Amino acid sequence: MITLSSYLVISTILFLAGIVVMIARKNIVAILLGIELILNASALNFVAYTKFVNQNLDGHIFPLFIIIVAAAEAAVGLAIVIRFYQIRESIHIDDATQLQQ
Amino acid sequence: MNETIVTYFAKFEWYKSLVKALTETFGFNAEPLMVFLFFFLASFIVVNVMALVGGLGTYAERKISADLQMRMGPNRVGPYGLIQFLADGVKFIMKEGIIPKSADTFLFTLAPILCLVGVLGSLTVVPYSSGFILSDLDIGLFFLIGISSLVGLGIFLGGYASNSKWAMLGGMRAAAQIISYEIPVVISALSCVLLAGGLSFTTLIEAQTGFPQGWFIFHNPFTFIGFFVFFVGGLAETNRAPFDLPEAESELVSGYHTEYSGMRFAFFALAEYIEVFVVAGVAVALFLGGYNVPFGLGGDGILGQFLQLGAFFSKTLVLYYVVIWFRWTLPRLRVDHLMTLCWKYLTPIAIFNLIGTGFWLYGFEGKSLFELLFKSGAAATGGGH
Amino acid sequence: MFGNILFLVSALFSVLGAVGVVVTKNIMHACVYLLMSLIGVAGLYLTLGADFVAATQLVVYVGGVVILMVFAVMLTGGADSQKSNRFGIEKTPMMGSVGTYVAGGISAILASYIVIYRLLPKIFEAEPVNSTMAFDKTVEKIGMLLVSDHVLAFEISSVLLLGALVGAAVIARPKRN
Repeated sequence: MITLSSYLVISTILFLAGIVVMIARKNIVAILLGIELILNASALNFVAYTKFVNQNLDGHIFPLFIIIVAAAEAAVGLAIVIRFYQIRESIHIDDATQLQQ
Repeated sequence: MNETIVTYFAKFEWYKSLVKALTETFGFNAEPLMVFLFFFLASFIVVNVMALVGGLGTYAERKISADLQMRMGPNRVGPYGLIQFLADGVKFIMKEGIIPKSADTFLFTLAPILCLVGVLGSLTVVPYSSGFILSDLDIGLFFLIGISSLVGLGIFLGGYASNSKWAMLGGMRAAAQIISYEIPVVISALSCVLLAGGLSFTTLIEAQTGFPQGWFIFHNPFTFIGFFVFFVGGLAETNRAPFDLPEAESELVSGYHTEYSGMRFAFFALAEYIEVFVVAGVAVALFLGGYNVPFGLGGDGILGQFLQLGAFFSKTLVLYYVVIWFRWTLPRLRVDHLMTLCWKYLTPIAIFNLIGTGFWLYGFEGKSLFELLFKSGAAATGGGH
Repeated sequence: MFGNILFLVSALFSVLGAVGVVVTKNIMHACVYLLMSLIGVAGLYLTLGADFVAATQLVVYVGGVVILMVFAVMLTGGADSQKSNRFGIEKTPMMGSVGTYVAGGISAILASYIVIYRLLPKIFEAEPVNSTMAFDKTVEKIGMLLVSDHVLAFEISSVLLLGALVGAAVIARPKRN
């Protein structure tokens, strides 16, 4: 039977996968992939709750804004990655430590 | 529930009696089984007919180009060379599917499949007639735009995975071109959505009439320009000449499918020809009246449905001819000219058209130009807002 | 029946895609697995009756974000560039001492006990299913909500998108001397 919890389990798996990707990978593009996964998990939760609990369409509006933010984030993030690659010739996250010193 | 081909057939008595008979035979409710069977059958027919259209497209391309260049064209296999495409298909199947040693095998095999899935997925909502539409989704147009963007990704991945510089350049050009031209196409389609008041293809078409004065292309000056913007942008999205930069033979050997052979290449070619049909069909549905038949001949009966089918296919095939005509008439654009055309001309024109259509709707209460000119014209009922 | 099949297939797609993003070593393959996961999530939206959100997911992610990601991978040296280390974990030296490992192990056992015996039974409790509610014509209602209740967020998001467009163009452009 499909219940709210089945959606929540799936979104938890997506969220955990995103966190693991963000922590384990050192490639900046891969970290952006992890962020996309996390945003998707949260959006899925919104739609699932609006179907099973709240029953109005506000839960459909929120994923739209999440998708918009994800698109803007991807565009700007990848622009930064490309610029970073032009300067340092690497997209390893450990090379971006100049601000620490 | 959305209108589908199954709900169309469910109106008939024989469908209900068939369901009843099956239920009695099997001893359980046969309704879902029937729905599944009908969808399966309908999808099977649509995919095969479209494969036929794609195959005949290659034949038509050769014949028309031969005609334009005063040659004979294929004339050996079958009458007038008509089954040349079957011979080609058999050849494609017999050929060895080569995967280059340095290619990325996973992506290399995935790319043609992604292309074909994108195109065939968009056939779900293409309105062949008011009953014979696989599924008339509420978000039809939006869904079509979404699912057909898989094609761009497939081409791009194919270019990348081949690990060859020609294929790579072709793939990069294709991705840049498809993403850019999506903007004017979608914005000019939006003006039709504004006039009809809905995203589903049935809503869009029912707002038009069988005769040209009720079509959206002649609704107002803005949609008239919008049609050409849509068509040019659609041509660019299918990578057809004069926008065939991703597979420019004279610069990149054969573009993104340089390294492909056998059935995988056939998938790319088939996807391209079917996509041309889809773009032409959507242009017909949005601007040229879709499946509407003059004199109200197209009804809910089977005969009316086939008349509507004829109206849709004849208009679409005329546009198909125009696409092929373009290819053998116009020279190819340069890359920077391509981007200039999209961002500096088509996109501003499309935005201007959208705003203009909005003002027209507000100012003239949704009346079309024809209705304004001939106020007594009772036949013109376009723009049912 | 169809709803259950669609749910199973899309759940499998999204979970397998997410696992693929974690497991694969090739960043290009990771992008494709992400695409698979996103399509799965779109299918899940469909099972929840959110057709407009599903279509938006397809349009934005498949047509935009994933292609951008692949493009960025290509512009920054491709999947097997030597400069971009794929899994940083291989290089990380062992951290900590015996004490930290003992503490980590004990807390892991405690956390798994809590998850398995306290949380999971609650999660899988039977809950009332409200399948009677059907969102027919969500598109019109969403449109009305966007320009009435959520009009401020709608306008701000358009400004955000414009800012992102200009910002990305300015950042990515190489400086001309």
